[in-house]
Amino acid sequence: MTAMSNRQSSSEKLIALGACISRVAKERDKSAFAELFDHYAPQIRAYSLAREPGADLVADELVQEVMTRVWLKAEKYNASLANLNTWIFTLARNCRIDYLRRNGRYVSEIDPTDLFNDMEDEGPGPFQLAQQSRAEASIREGLRQLPREQSEVLTKVYLEGKSHQQASEELKLPLGTVKSRVRLALKKLEVLVER
Amino acid sequence: MDRSSNHPAYELLAAYSAGSLPLSQALCVSAHLEHCHSCTRQLQRLNRVGSELMQQLKPAKASNDLKNRLLDSLDSLTDEAPAEQPKRFDPSIPRCLHQFVDQGYAELPWKRVSTDIHSVELCRDNNGAKVELLKIRPGGSATTHTHLGDEYTVILEGSFSDESGLYKQGDFVVKDARDRHTPVATQDRECICLAVTEGPIQFTGFFSRLLNPLIRRGYA
Repeated sequence: MTAMSNRQSSSEKLIALGACISRVAKERDKSAFAELFDHYAPQIRAYSLAREPGADLVADELVQEVMTRVWLKAEKYNASLANLNTWIFTLARNCRIDYLRRNGRYVSEIDPTDLFNDMEDEGPGPFQLAQQSRAEASIREGLRQLPREQSEVLTKVYLEGKSHQQASEELKLPLGTVKSRVRLALKKLEVLVER
Repeated sequence: MDRSSNHPAYELLAAYSAGSLPLSQALCVSAHLEHCHSCTRQLQRLNRVGSELMQQLKPAKASNDLKNRLLDSLDSLTDEAPAEQPKRFDPSIPRCLHQFVDQGYAELPWKRVSTDIHSVELCRDNNGAKVELLKIRPGGSATTHTHLGDEYTVILEGSFSDESGLYKQGDFVVKDARDRHTPVATQDRECICLAVTEGPIQFTGFFSRLLNPLIRRGYA
């Protein structure tokens, strides 16, 4: 498949999934929810397994947590703020943090609930949907072209959930190198906002 | 003036977006985000990077059993805290701090550190970092200090200046162990900051991790 038709099909898929989430929100439609499950559950499991390879039960539990929130929060999903894929990512990330904390692997006195509000109940941001999907396609393309050492640090940080410190230990790199590789990768992906 | 020095570095925001930032630092980032439009926009883009990375993973099939169990449970699901009366929080307090500050800064058990400074410890993070609020009286100075680890500061009220410039509400400042600085609150009002100071040493190995509570206790 060409890059163009790939992009085409993934944006069509996203439109179909967007219709599902609004049916879940407005009509409490379980078959629409089942479609969302079929699409996202394998992604969420993969995300969990990236952090804990082989931990299938943990992965199932994360699916259950995330999809439960999808059912309960579908009404709050705001397409003008983030596309559905990004919303699911932020839910999966938040659920993973909660899970680690509940299971004592993050013995912190800080409750993460109010730290990552993202878009759960904020008003529409400055982004337009069309602009957004263009940005997503270019991030996707950019990720494909990143040098290996840069995509490696992004994978550690985003998918394996490693702190910069842990990434530097595992990759046997100085902490400063890890940070500068993250920065270089973001620059290449053209996602940096001028300050 | 270099505005970028009053925001979290890009890689720090990326770690926040990834959910891999220690929670004490995430608390500072979150407090900053409430004041900073450009970092909020930046975060939305970084979340998209996370989303695209997640989609590139090889999907791991979910069982029908899991799907059916979930579908069966939908009717009995309720949002955990729907009926809870929304508490009236002081809107000037960042939402991420409501778990520690529910009545306003004045009600906290401030402890005197010096004539110019009062502090109140909010909690410790699991990496040993100390999370506290600092209150500097108008025109007051925090004596020259260095830290054992990095120090993250977000200005919640008022403003202060040090050798590198003026910082105002919402600004995010990181100083590392090598920086010596003397923050001075501006004359017009007191300055309240959220400050996270990293512990002196952090062990991550399995056996040495057992030592951490001992070390932390020494770091009071």
